[in-house]
Amino acid sequence: MKNDLQLKVQSWLDGELPEREARQVGEWIARDAEASALAAELGSVNQAMLRNEAGVTLSDSREFYWSKIELQIQREAERNRVHAPVPWYARWRKFMGPALGVAALACVMIVAIRQAVPPTYDEISATIDGMEAVTFHDQSSQTTIIWLQDSTQAPMDQKPALPSAQPQDEPESVIDM
Amino acid sequence: MDPDKSALLEADLVRMAQRGDMASFEELVARYRDKIYGRAYSMMRHEEEALDLSQDAWVKGWQRLSQFHGESSFITWMTRIVINLCLDQLRKQKRQRAESIEAMEEEGGGAIERRMPVVNVNPTLGLERAELRERIDRALAQLSHEHRTVLVLHEFEEMEYKEIAKQMKCSIGTVMSRLFYARRRMGSLLAGLRRESSE
Repeated sequence: MKNDLQLKVQSWLDGELPEREARQVGEWIARDAEASALAAELGSVNQAMLRNEAGVTLSDSREFYWSKIELQIQREAERNRVHAPVPWYARWRKFMGPALGVAALACVMIVAIRQAVPPTYDEISATIDGMEAVTFHDQSSQTTIIWLQDSTQAPMDQKPALPSAQPQDEPESVIDM
Repeated sequence: MDPDKSALLEADLVRMAQRGDMASFEELVARYRDKIYGRAYSMMRHEEEALDLSQDAWVKGWQRLSQFHGESSFITWMTRIVINLCLDQLRKQKRQRAESIEAMEEEGGGAIERRMPVVNVNPTLGLERAELRERIDRALAQLSHEHRTVLVLHEFEEMEYKEIAKQMKCSIGTVMSRLFYARRRMGSLLAGLRRESSE
């Protein structure tokens, strides 16, 4: 019998042929003694093996067998953790983290220093033709009073008196600092 | 060992293991370790290798547990893993050593098996189950890796030709051919063993 026919017999036996072909091959096997004998031989080996795999039992105890598996799982997990690729944002965070920390610390220090040291105000002078200004700063009330005077309308010697507790004249402007 | 776990269903143990509960996974290992080791042994025919490969399979199983969605039973899924590991190992071994003349002959078409007369008497008839199992085991040990593997996958794991071809990374034609020669060889080995025991 040709090899391809032998393989056909086997495919028929294993149910690997399409329905129509299986029917044709089945009819041929029923008529042909050699094909029939081959099918019977292959089938007997198949049937014998299907239900008769020799059972194998491990001699190692449950704990001993498991201990090696557990150890290997832990090792693999550790290896994966060490060799895991670092994502870009993690690398960025690695460098930017300390920088942001320093920046945050600097901000905190600046705020703290500004709160600890009492504010100092520089006197600002501006020159406008014909204008004179006198300033008074009261530290206790954190108030600055500025008198502006147009010298073209009033003589220079008529300087205003320093304000008393109840100033006589209304100041031109009052700046609360 | 957790005595509470032994009463749990397989599906519950798998679910808990998937959430990272190693004690549940250990219970699954305890339930199926013989089956996984047995499959590795049937393919490798070497106790130490089979032991190592079965344990490697459990490690792989743990790592890939999230990929198990219950399309098959857990033990079927685990068996596929150990079969893959065994096939990888066999390929590695094949690369490392020159193939024997016998193996090359088998790959070349199995001229001996093709010319073998058909065994008219069922070679397994009248044997006690335990005796038959032992003879099958002994006969399997005498086959080449390729023939033994294809028999194990088809007869024990009940895989289709297509699936075997995928696992063994070969064509369906090669699977059919290997299976045919492996069965014929197996038939003659079983018949020979039967003659030996009756003499």
